[in-house]
Amino acid sequence: MVKYLADLSKLEFSEQKLEETAGQMTDIINLMDTVKEIDVTYDAYKDNHDVFLPELRCDSVVPSMATDKIVSNAVSSDNCFVVPKVVE
Amino acid sequence: MELKDMKLRDMRKALDSKQISSAELAKGYFDNIKKYDGEIKSYITVTEELAMQQAAAAQDIINKGEAKPLTGIPIAVKDNICTKGVKTTCASKILENFIPPYDATVMEKLNAQNIVMLGKTSMDEFAMGGSTQTSAFAKTVNPYNKGCVPGGSSGGSAAAVSARLAPIALGTDTGGSIRQPASFCGVTGIKPTYSRVSRYGLVAFASSLDQIGAIGLDAHDCGLLLNAICGFDIHDGTSAREDVPDFTSTIGESMKGVKIALPKEYFADGIDDEVRETVMKAAQQYKAMGAELVDCSMPSLKYAVSCYYLLACAEAASNLSRYDGIKYGHRTSTDCDSYEELIVRSRSEGFGDEVKRRILLGNYCLSSGYYDAYYRKALALRQLVRKEYNDIFEKCDIILTPTAPTVAYSPEKTADPVSMYQADICTVTVNIAGLPAISTTCGYDKNGMPIGMSLIGKKFREQDIIKAADAFEQGFTPVLPKM
Repeated sequence: MVKYLADLSKLEFSEQKLEETAGQMTDIINLMDTVKEIDVTYDAYKDNHDVFLPELRCDSVVPSMATDKIVSNAVSSDNCFVVPKVVE
Repeated sequence: MELKDMKLRDMRKALDSKQISSAELAKGYFDNIKKYDGEIKSYITVTEELAMQQAAAAQDIINKGEAKPLTGIPIAVKDNICTKGVKTTCASKILENFIPPYDATVMEKLNAQNIVMLGKTSMDEFAMGGSTQTSAFAKTVNPYNKGCVPGGSSGGSAAAVSARLAPIALGTDTGGSIRQPASFCGVTGIKPTYSRVSRYGLVAFASSLDQIGAIGLDAHDCGLLLNAICGFDIHDGTSAREDVPDFTSTIGESMKGVKIALPKEYFADGIDDEVRETVMKAAQQYKAMGAELVDCSMPSLKYAVSCYYLLACAEAASNLSRYDGIKYGHRTSTDCDSYEELIVRSRSEGFGDEVKRRILLGNYCLSSGYYDAYYRKALALRQLVRKEYNDIFEKCDIILTPTAPTVAYSPEKTADPVSMYQADICTVTVNIAGLPAISTTCGYDKNGMPIGMSLIGKKFREQDIIKAADAFEQGFTPVLPKM
């Protein structure tokens, strides 16, 4: 299960670390299981009824950050992000 | 007056009356940082050169008689708040070299008042922890006992204020990360109502719970910093359009008739005897001031830690999926044959163990087959916690609880994740319900370690808890850490 979660999470662990993490995750999930003891139902309307649509931003074009700033923390070339070759 | 005794309002007077210059004030703190921070390790980045430039600019404004409340005041900033041109690491290797190209809204607001930034303070990696021991760069120690943790995740901010390496600091609080370190380090910390302060430029951990706040020497100073950072922001759709009052305006008003509720579950087994007794003693002091103590109950507290970790980790797993080694952040130096491999290697090298555990838990509770049993159940529990708070607040104005079950402990005790999670029991419900809360010191244990109490307020009623915390502080003599 932890190996599957690691794949989902885009993480890799050494065999030893995976075993250690699996043990910790078992303890953590046992703690999380306490929520199963109580019978409550989620009411999605209650959480979302106060979203006031007129207060959302207008769908209009505004200046955005300059490209050189956006790539300033990345490996870049000609103001583009560089990734490994993905097509032959 | 010595630097260690100066509150923000003393500094304002001293600056405006030219008893001290902004540069001299900043230099006093940098001297302290040079002298003590090698041991305390509260800062990840010290920004002395920038600060002296800011102090000069602030002084020009002060000289013209145009100072705003925080002009020329030195401030430390938690390292998960974006500062344009200044490294913002989140105490994580994955952001070790990240230099934000923009300022967080809180920094824009503070810079508009010409503050002087002393540096960026240490924290648990991505604010995930209660000890500052998951920091990849500076495992801060407690100024009261260097063999103990300062709490977390804003442990650097709390320790810096406690050790007089900053007069005030910005912190962030997702599950107690301002209040618990403030309690452990013997200072005051306020988490405002969710949505009071814009989260734009705050590196996201759990977006429905994160909130920026203040850690200072007392409630009055925290209120002054809040005055500067609250308010609606077009860049944060969750920020509130509520009016921002002067949070210090109620300070000094009588506590007579104020109803303070004491939920019995917060004083039950699991809370250290000395902590319980000290907080109860503080409650009696409020009674002596004319406040009325009200008994109440919060049965959902039993499920609060699980509810919090399910929600927080689900959100963290989503938020941290942005770290791919491509747009910004650590990129593996290993040659990768595929896009997938680049992402997996970069993330695995960049994130620490606790962050990885929380991503795994988040993805677990969001997975098909587990979503209803865990995540949706946690959403339902959040509604129950909010309802219980609403019911309690029908009978009272403020809720009083311990800030943490224990005083600060040794770093060895942080090895077990489950016991660390359980230690958040006193603080997480405030974030789950989006309420404001302040922690202030109410006593010391037999070893001289600070004990904090939390005052929880109604939504958007920060001034109530600031007033109450100040009322207690006026009759309390803090014991400073021996440096």
